[in-house]
Amino acid sequence: MGSATSKMAASSSAGRVLTLCKQFQNVFRISSATNARQGAVSSAKCQTSLLREKSPIVTPSWSNPISSPGQYRALHTTISRRGLEEFFDSPENWGEANVKSGAPWTAKQLRTKSNEDLHKLWYVLLKEKNMLLTLEQEAKGQRVQMPSPERLRKVERSMIRLETVAKERESALRLLQTGQEKGRPGAWRRNIFGYVYWYRFKEYAIPWYMNRRYKRKRFYTPKFVEPHIRLRIENYLRERARNENLKKRRLTKLQERFPQIKAPAS
Amino acid sequence: MRLTALLSMAARVIVPKDYRYGTNRPWTAAAKRLNPPGKRRRKVFVEPIAPEEWSVLKGDTVEIRKGNDKGKQGKVIQVFRRRNWVILEGLNTHHRYIGKTADYRGTYIASEAPILVRDVALVDPSDRKPTEVEWRFTEEGERVRVSLRTGRIIPKPVVERRDGIVPQQWKDGPKDTSPEDALEKTYIPSLKTLEEEVMEKLGIQENRRHRTSYWY
Repeated sequence: MGSATSKMAASSSAGRVLTLCKQFQNVFRISSATNARQGAVSSAKCQTSLLREKSPIVTPSWSNPISSPGQYRALHTTISRRGLEEFFDSPENWGEANVKSGAPWTAKQLRTKSNEDLHKLWYVLLKEKNMLLTLEQEAKGQRVQMPSPERLRKVERSMIRLETVAKERESALRLLQTGQEKGRPGAWRRNIFGYVYWYRFKEYAIPWYMNRRYKRKRFYTPKFVEPHIRLRIENYLRERARNENLKKRRLTKLQERFPQIKAPAS
Repeated sequence: MRLTALLSMAARVIVPKDYRYGTNRPWTAAAKRLNPPGKRRRKVFVEPIAPEEWSVLKGDTVEIRKGNDKGKQGKVIQVFRRRNWVILEGLNTHHRYIGKTADYRGTYIASEAPILVRDVALVDPSDRKPTEVEWRFTEEGERVRVSLRTGRIIPKPVVERRDGIVPQQWKDGPKDTSPEDALEKTYIPSLKTLEEEVMEKLGIQENRRHRTSYWY
């Protein structure tokens, strides 16, 4: 048993991550709010000291007088109802100088998870991040080093990767269904300084011909700006020539001192 | 300026183009003392070694070819890519006083000086003699260093992780996912966006109609 775990540990050495307590892993598989409530009853063996309030399933008609299920839902969809304690670490970690934590989630691992799992993981990571930020702020207030600040960086990296994966999936679907690469509409426009750039559209309630502030933005170059554009181009060419000469001079000097250098392609 | 940009400016050290890199990291007080902002020093020419060609890694055993300690073998402690330097343990030393105060003369210690990578050669572990090294691919596709004299592969030195974790002896904490759960595949590709799928699973019904808006 020990060798099997160590082999698994060796093969997936990057697989240690932050998520809910192991006892709540069956909650991960539960999909809808109603199922979560039934799940709380079935997983009664998992009830630890964390479940202080009574289970909400006991008298549903009394606790939840609202009858239409589509419009009203309970705020919590998991069993854990710890309230403000979620902003703090578990009590055994209080006062310790080093709290060990596993590796962050990699994008490759996140790509194998379903959308629902990603959604749940995002909130788990968010709560962990809030807890770590509270800890950081309190440590600053008491002028003490925060224990294991790398946890915060790991959580942030995991969240960034999760967002990347979600964006990838969305953009793939969009490309397939509409052929558009970008989710937000835009256009190539020239501004008053003569620069052509990708102008990203904004959402407005009124059409453009009624929008006074938008009409004051000019997406063309006036005539008197053109001499300045020419001077700008000249400056740019001069600077480019200067940089290239500098590179050539540097390369010749290096070749004098280190004759074995081959001229690099770039 | 935005607060985050200002804070990140303070965190990261911006270094001028003709900065002379020394053995101290640029953000330390010693480096700031030796290279204050206005200081300009004679330019040092550093041979440009491509990152793919670099063969001396931290923790390797190398032999010195030139200098006072010629012929001696030592372990690489630190590598400075900016100046093509390596620092070996206990070799190429000079002695200096450290921790000097007004009345105390200080501790006399031996401190190592950096050596150029070209003046140093990797040692073949089979016959413990210096060799030239080339990067080649094995049949499995792994990129390894091969000694040109004997043809033997020189393995990468095992370096301890900065956080002190040994992956083989790791035990999961209460907040860590077990390897099976992390690698489990739950993704079923479908033509629904993340938002649509989650709304379906949670039973959220969006009955509000979108008001006409204009994008420009």
